[in-house]
Amino acid sequence: MKKSKEIAVTVKDLHISYRGLKKTSIRASWNKLKDKIEVFEALRGVSFEIEEGKILGIIGKNGSGKSTMLRAIAGIFSPDKGSIDLHDNSISLLSIGVGFNKKLTGYENIYLSGMLLGFSEEQIKEKEKEIIKFADIGDFIYKPVKTYSSGMHSKLAFAITAILETDIMLIDEVLSVGDAKFKEKSYNKMKELISDDKRTVVIVSHNSSTLKELCDEVLWLHDGKIKMIGEPNKVLSEYEKFMNEAK
Amino acid sequence: MKDIKRFFSNIKKYNKYAIRSAKAELKSEVADSYLNWLWWIIEPICFMLIYTFVFGYIFKNNTQYFASFVFIGLTGWEFFNRMITGSVSLIAGNREIVTKVYLPKYILLLSKSYTYLFKTGISFIVTLVLMLFQHVPISPTILLVVPIFAILYILCFGLGMILMHYGVLLNDLANLTRIALRMVFYLSGVFYNIRQRLGGTLQYVLLRANPAAFSMDELRKVCLEGKLPSFEGMLFWFAIGILLCFIGIKIIHKNENSYAKVI
Repeated sequence: MKKSKEIAVTVKDLHISYRGLKKTSIRASWNKLKDKIEVFEALRGVSFEIEEGKILGIIGKNGSGKSTMLRAIAGIFSPDKGSIDLHDNSISLLSIGVGFNKKLTGYENIYLSGMLLGFSEEQIKEKEKEIIKFADIGDFIYKPVKTYSSGMHSKLAFAITAILETDIMLIDEVLSVGDAKFKEKSYNKMKELISDDKRTVVIVSHNSSTLKELCDEVLWLHDGKIKMIGEPNKVLSEYEKFMNEAK
Repeated sequence: MKDIKRFFSNIKKYNKYAIRSAKAELKSEVADSYLNWLWWIIEPICFMLIYTFVFGYIFKNNTQYFASFVFIGLTGWEFFNRMITGSVSLIAGNREIVTKVYLPKYILLLSKSYTYLFKTGISFIVTLVLMLFQHVPISPTILLVVPIFAILYILCFGLGMILMHYGVLLNDLANLTRIALRMVFYLSGVFYNIRQRLGGTLQYVLLRANPAAFSMDELRKVCLEGKLPSFEGMLFWFAIGILLCFIGIKIIHKNENSYAKVI
């Protein structure tokens, strides 16, 4: 049951720092007694909401916390402070080829990857044909993934994530993979997925023109804080101005 | 209590994935080899033959049904050893998955444990064949292998979750566990009977403080000697196992979403 009809994602005062856990060795622990522990705050107090069916673009320079934010929304990172509420929507981070076992067939990997993304065997079985058709790699689907060309690999991986849909989709850089023909096909599929009225989408990108074309709203992150949020044209032109000045 | 509930609902949700992933791993292990799945049988037989030869003939050992004795010990030991060694580097070894999707981290351990259980099962069958071959009188107590093993499993799973967590934080943990395991190996009586070779306090301590030695000894009692195991000891290790699982679940739930930052 969805508690709120309109809001799909609520992020409140989100703080994430890379200090909580630190990989160490016994020797390093000795040294650490002397040194101060470095804390890197990737996100410091970000709050926003996304309405259901809306497409939010996130822009910002390298290291501004875009990917961290996306991974936090996906549940891979936990917030150090603040909260993220998905209002019981299913979510997936569109990432290519998660959990592939290269020695096994593409067919077997559809299930491995799909189940890892949280889908049940039955759900995948239903979509299996569609995935194979979309991937369009012919008989290679029954051959080990390690025999694939890199293009075929990404075609299959894209097909899996694109056909198995969730309520909220998170996209780290708009993916265009494979040869020219598949690139067009995957871009169109992506657009189709994104423009579904019910689906909420968050896209992280460096590319202003993609965001301008696809998004309803753009969020500009700068040094872990929101610099601006609002209408794409306005935010993006400010962002471009800022980036040009920085040069 | 909330943790326990979450643990079981996660296990329920992801168990099918764990099984499929375990099968995939087993398949891929032998996918390219000429003898394929036969390796699952050939490998344990060869190792056991080597050990039996070295310790039975070279070091002369008069334990009755010595080959079966060694096979049973090794079956138990290998499971324990694999679970512990495997869990230390589990998170880092699954970097691809951990940094890209959310998955309750003990599912990785669960999946791994299924591959080990499969191998242990084969090892048991090999042992059983050998016992028949050596005309070991088989008594119904052999059925008690199941609860003894279940306890060992719970114990390893709990310990595994804890090691899995610290394995992420501490680079040297893999080295430390290797040394510790080697020591435990020789103190577990894989090749000798602790009850015969050692006396007094040492025997007492080893059989009680070392879960690997305890399980092996009990497994041998029910398989070779037709005796009942020590139920008191089983209850004790069962309790410890549950406690370790409880601690492990708590630690994992608290920290699992930070692992992606570290590895």
